Amino acid sequence: MSEIYSPVSENELSDFVKQCFADQTSIEITGHSTKPIGRFIETSKILQLKKLDGIIEYFPEELYIKVKAGTSLKLVESELDKKNQELVFEPADLGHLYSGKSNPGSVGGAVACNLSGSRRFKVGALRDHILGIQGVNGKGEVIKSGGTVVKNVTGYDLSKLIAGSYGTLLALTEIVLKVHPKNEECQTLLINNINLEKALSFFLKSMQTSFEISGACFYPQNMSKFFKLNDLDTSTSITALRIEGPKISVTERINSLKNVFDEYKKNISILENYQSRIFWRDTSDLQFFNNSENIIVKIVLPPTYVNKFINKFENEDLKYVVDWAGNLIWCEVPKGDSVLLRQLRKQIIIFNGHMTIIKAPNHVRIREEFLTTVDENIKMLSLKVKESFDPKKILSPGKMYLEI
Amino acid sequence: MCALAMPVVDEVILNLKDKIVRDLKKFTNLNNVIFDFDEVTPYETDALSAYKQKPMVVVLPENTEEVSNILKYCNQNNIKVVPRGAGTGLSGGALPLKDCVLLGLSKFNKILEIDFDNRCVVTQPGVTNLSITKAVENNEFYYAPDPSSQIACSIGGNIAENSGGVHSLKYGTTTNNVLGVEIVLMDGTIMRLGGKKIESEGYDLLGLITGSEGLLGVVTEVTVKILKKPQSIKALLLGFQSVEAAGQTVSDIISAGIIPAGMEVMDKPLIKATNDYSKAGYPLNVEAILIVELDGTESEVNVLIEKVDDVAKKNDATYIRISKNDAERMRFWLGRKAAFPAIGEMSPDYICMDGTIPRKKLPEVLKEITKLSKKYGLRVANCFHAGDGNLHPLIMFDSNIKSELKKAEQFGADILKYCVKSGGVLTGEHGVGIEKRELMCEMFNDDDIQQQLNIKIAFDKNSLLNPGKVYPILHRCAESGKMHVHKGENKFKDIPRF
Ligand SMILES: Cc1cc2nc3c(=O)[nH]c(=O)nc-3n(C[C@H](O)[C@H](O)[C@H](O)COP(=O)(O)OP(=O)(O)OC[C@H]3O[C@@H](n4cnc5c(N)ncnc54)[C@H](O)[C@@H]3O)c2cc1C
Repeated sequence: MSEIYSPVSENELSDFVKQCFADQTSIEITGHSTKPIGRFIETSKILQLKKLDGIIEYFPEELYIKVKAGTSLKLVESELDKKNQELVFEPADLGHLYSGKSNPGSVGGAVACNLSGSRRFKVGALRDHILGIQGVNGKGEVIKSGGTVVKNVTGYDLSKLIAGSYGTLLALTEIVLKVHPKNEECQTLLINNINLEKALSFFLKSMQTSFEISGACFYPQNMSKFFKLNDLDTSTSITALRIEGPKISVTERINSLKNVFDEYKKNISILENYQSRIFWRDTSDLQFFNNSENIIVKIVLPPTYVNKFINKFENEDLKYVVDWAGNLIWCEVPKGDSVLLRQLRKQIIIFNGHMTIIKAPNHVRIREEFLTTVDENIKMLSLKVKESFDPKKILSPGKMYLEI
Repeated sequence: MCALAMPVVDEVILNLKDKIVRDLKKFTNLNNVIFDFDEVTPYETDALSAYKQKPMVVVLPENTEEVSNILKYCNQNNIKVVPRGAGTGLSGGALPLKDCVLLGLSKFNKILEIDFDNRCVVTQPGVTNLSITKAVENNEFYYAPDPSSQIACSIGGNIAENSGGVHSLKYGTTTNNVLGVEIVLMDGTIMRLGGKKIESEGYDLLGLITGSEGLLGVVTEVTVKILKKPQSIKALLLGFQSVEAAGQTVSDIISAGIIPAGMEVMDKPLIKATNDYSKAGYPLNVEAILIVELDGTESEVNVLIEKVDDVAKKNDATYIRISKNDAERMRFWLGRKAAFPAIGEMSPDYICMDGTIPRKKLPEVLKEITKLSKKYGLRVANCFHAGDGNLHPLIMFDSNIKSELKKAEQFGADILKYCVKSGGVLTGEHGVGIEKRELMCEMFNDDDIQQQLNIKIAFDKNSLLNPGKVYPILHRCAESGKMHVHKGENKFKDIPRF
């Protein structure tokens, strides 16, 4: 069992990493240590950032919040809620996936994984909402980038690089996030009982309108049973389109959208504000794979390839949900089925997409690639970038790629 | 000539000029290599025209393979390379070095693919920002980032500078709107980062490249996302008796949960200047005006207009006008867009600064600027992307008076330092380049800068790509030079400026 260390200050953290640098001791960086995402690695020490917590400053009218990296996402979201604001990229609460109950973890953990919810295709990813970061590199030096303002081109944009780097470049200490006013109203147009191909064509059609769709997902039949919403018919497939904004405009746009799909009138229903919010919260939180024992992968493809891709696996036991207006597929692969996992990866490469394993049993995390990148040049450059932060490769080595 | 310290000139390379020219001609069409002392003149400066330097040779490759071969050759032979798009940069990013190969991307001027289904455009980097929108507007689509130089600046330059526009508050800057690039590293390696899919995995090298000012690689292809045009756009023109009231209105609009498409503030000197110049019909008996633009569906815009109108009244706006049609909306913008030429009329020379500050600090920072204006005895007018805190003070001076350029530059540096002190940053959208290089230590300590330099080395081991830019050479906070405009004769003087 590796030794767990939880520093209470940035200075302490910096001294700790300096010592590890001197001794060449490897460290796995974790936030609250609740979600083992990434390749399985064994390090001499485990660093937990949960004691580096607390909101440093929150200025609603400046649209940002600055927190210590170990601060729980729950706290942040409830503070924002008091001012009727939110993190517009809808951070996923992977607690449901990992343990069957809510546990969104720390802000640092969310940044390290760069996971974004259903609004992704409209408002950008988590990485688009980081204004600044500070953290400790592999030499123990405290490094910062960005600030608290949105328009900033002073020096390289390290916030983007750190988002989705799974703790392999910096141990984050402080994060500045952009916040956004909550939408007054949210409604969802539901179309029951159409197939994926049709659903994708509806996404396309609705994206070509000016209705500003902010959510577009597809649940195949039997995938939506977990919902407990009065007005949601879960007996067939569900295609859902979300519209948000001032109430009067939402109602108007929902009605116009209905007209676009007039020939499917019989299949259409509307989910009102309250239920809509639950629907999209649960979708972003991957409730459809609640506490799954299997392998859960995130697949990103250009939307026009999604149907072809899914068709390739017609005969397989593949459970999936499509989100981000057809840009994203969440898949569940039976845990013993490495063959299927590899087939998926092979097809994804052909379709110019990528696949990330979000949850898997340890034996899979040891054996299988976590990411998809096959381009040796990109791997080589990534290695050099890693070394520029962490020359002795002591920060979560091997978490993303075996050699990085 | 360039007065700033630049990397030491490599005399050995200069002496090899003839051979280098001969070698370069092997990699591309003979006519694409320009080496005559007079013929390279158009490349001696960008829009920071106080600084000029002729390059050793200019090369205008036509495809990625040529770029790759040229870079590989230069890397092997220790020759510095400076990439250049359209040369509209305001911070000297494309300023040549005496011993460099200036690599111009002007022949990369084709849009390669328009993909409405995946809502993206694939283009070569030399294509102008505006022509992307032009190419898709028939289908009611557009490319969101809209720098005011958009008719001239290249999309490759936009990637390098992470350029913004008046609509960045709602739609983000370049980095939020680019899906992929093809880049060539200094050693000739060709790489694709991202593409048509919405995001990539692994380290976000695309995010790192965007805004890296041509120091990490040469962009040879770009994929950007395009958006559907909003159904309705309206604007309010508001006048206030104090800058504080205008600033407070901006804060209150945001506190009311509204994110307008654009919010712009001008102070009294600029209102007068732009009104005289453009006949925009601004109210003249106010201390500040605020333009608020809202977009969305018809009914949404109407609701928002009402709300903003309310907020303005609560803040004692003495002038409120809501655009009745598109022509009137464009008139509201007319003066604002003429800010640069209008100042050019008022003063033989001016420099434009580009700090960002927290929105609420606007009144305080403007007070400080007024104080500094008295101290230096130089006039100043201010425009402000109020939505995202990006401030553009225009400092007026006369370069015929010997000490004035230096004074203006010191004034500018003091403003930027004050921006940083107020919790802001040195540059919001124009980049560091050579202009703010020596001020970097106002924001970063040695460890921060060393980390960034280490990243540079990861991409370009020998530091041959665009050296001397962004990071302090002297490692001390010297005073900096700014965009210098003489008798309004700056480059691109017809482009409306923000
Ligand atoms: C009148 C005027 C108004 C302006 N308004 C705005 C504004 O509203 N918002 C804003 O953000 N900027 C504005 N600018 C600044 C400027 O237009 C932008 O910075 C623009 O992105 C520069 O593009 P360019 O093609 O002219 O690049 P250049 O000036 O040629 O180069 C800029 C930098 O990019 C690098 N570069 C260029 N092309 C490539 C490439 N293909 N690969 C790698 N590196 C490359 C160069 O080395 C250099 O460092 C304005 C400029 C002017 C003159």
